[in-house]
Amino acid sequence: MVGLSLGEKHFIQGGIAQDIRSDGRKRLTYRPINVETGVIPQANGSARIRMGATDVISTVKAELGKPISLQPDKGKVSIYVDCSPTAAPMFEGRGGEELSTELSVALQRSLLGGKSGAGAGIDLSSLVVVEGKICWDLYIDCLVVCSDGNLLDALGAAIKAALSNTGIPRVQVAAGASGDEQPEVDISDEEFLQFDTSDIPVIVTLTKVGRHYIVDATTEEESQMSSAISISVNRKGHICGLTKRGGAGLDPSIVLDMISVAKHVSEQLINKLDSEIAAAEAGEDES
Amino acid sequence: MEFVSPESLRLDGCRPMEMRQFRAEIGAVAKADRSAVFEMGNTKVIAAVYDPREVQNRSQQISDQALVIFFVQVLQADGGTRSACINVATLALVDAGIPMHDLVTSCSSGYLNSTRLLVTVGFLPKLDKFTLLQMLPLCPVGLTRIWNVQNLLYYTLIDYTDRCTQPEWILSYPLTFFENIMQLAIEGCKAVANYIREIMLENTKHLEYCQGV
Repeated sequence: MVGLSLGEKHFIQGGIAQDIRSDGRKRLTYRPINVETGVIPQANGSARIRMGATDVISTVKAELGKPISLQPDKGKVSIYVDCSPTAAPMFEGRGGEELSTELSVALQRSLLGGKSGAGAGIDLSSLVVVEGKICWDLYIDCLVVCSDGNLLDALGAAIKAALSNTGIPRVQVAAGASGDEQPEVDISDEEFLQFDTSDIPVIVTLTKVGRHYIVDATTEEESQMSSAISISVNRKGHICGLTKRGGAGLDPSIVLDMISVAKHVSEQLINKLDSEIAAAEAGEDES
Repeated sequence: MEFVSPESLRLDGCRPMEMRQFRAEIGAVAKADRSAVFEMGNTKVIAAVYDPREVQNRSQQISDQALVIFFVQVLQADGGTRSACINVATLALVDAGIPMHDLVTSCSSGYLNSTRLLVTVGFLPKLDKFTLLQMLPLCPVGLTRIWNVQNLLYYTLIDYTDRCTQPEWILSYPLTFFENIMQLAIEGCKAVANYIREIMLENTKHLEYCQGV
């Protein structure tokens, strides 16, 4: 990315202070969100989200596996992000690894809850087939195709859309399996169960520039930030995860203020996303 | 496994000699200087070209030329990935306006019965030359060296010289057998080349329109 001149930096900071950003948005307005589902037909579910120039693709693949012994009634989900070099030349080879790891960890924290599985945004107990023996393993893989800021929000939205698009095949378990035996399973090719995504949280990132917070920052705006907090909020207004980035320290009262602003913004985002996802699914069904 | 049904339809509904539906788009990655998407059936690839830059690695330097880097990302692989990558790279370079002697398009073809063979062919439509990119004997029976496969020439984008490819180790098939599938692949390449030319023409018209010509 080309460096910004002093004039450009002042322009960005001044605009944010006056509630008019470089592209005309207000501080708490998102860029237009474009959702396409079913872009990767070979996966169980997939979606592509575009927020302005930021373009991310998320896919979900489901495989049968064994639950962890400590949590026999829960399935497993793993989230992995890959930054493609098409997004920026510096992502070639291992250049994008740091950013990928940071994003993967933040997404896992926001959507999957703690180590014990408590507080997960995604309901893991719906993934179990035979308790203690067979469960669904979901592999959520995300690819950043083009990066223009606010990757975490876009990835969170893409995961939500991909999960809405996911069909888990129906599994018939052979009756009469006893004790330690692995039961026979028959995976149906025809019938699919839609994943229930109404409880999946969205991620809202608030970027602090000067004394104000903005939502959905572009790359230039992110370069001027002092710190950023990403909050994952679900439909009920509960906070499912929180991540802070940036070197500057924040006063606790500011953090609480940012959390309440994020909750307020998340309502609009959830409604917008749900309607876009429904429209995308309807469009896909027609075609 | 039945690859061709009794009604002579393949697994995805195509006829045996038919190419899958392909689609191309220029400018898919907004922040890249130039980019392109190419889909052949379910195989989807994206390419992005970035600025010419100074060469970091001295060994890559050729006289006083700058290095153009383009990245190809495979979104979904459903066969023919190598061909799709070459086609998308051509589109992206064309969009970037990099001077090239010719387009390079690629297509693969093969036999899928008791004798199995897959070839991937690269084709330069303007110069009407083709080159063999990949040959996979899927069930090796025996190996023979073939020296005089006609018209096999290798062109690079910057260096316009005639060079023979290294002779490939292939199965002991009669030459006509091999020529048939090469011909099929070349026809496929020509179809892709025509399509790419149409896309380029459309893109240029769109640019002219935007500039108010």
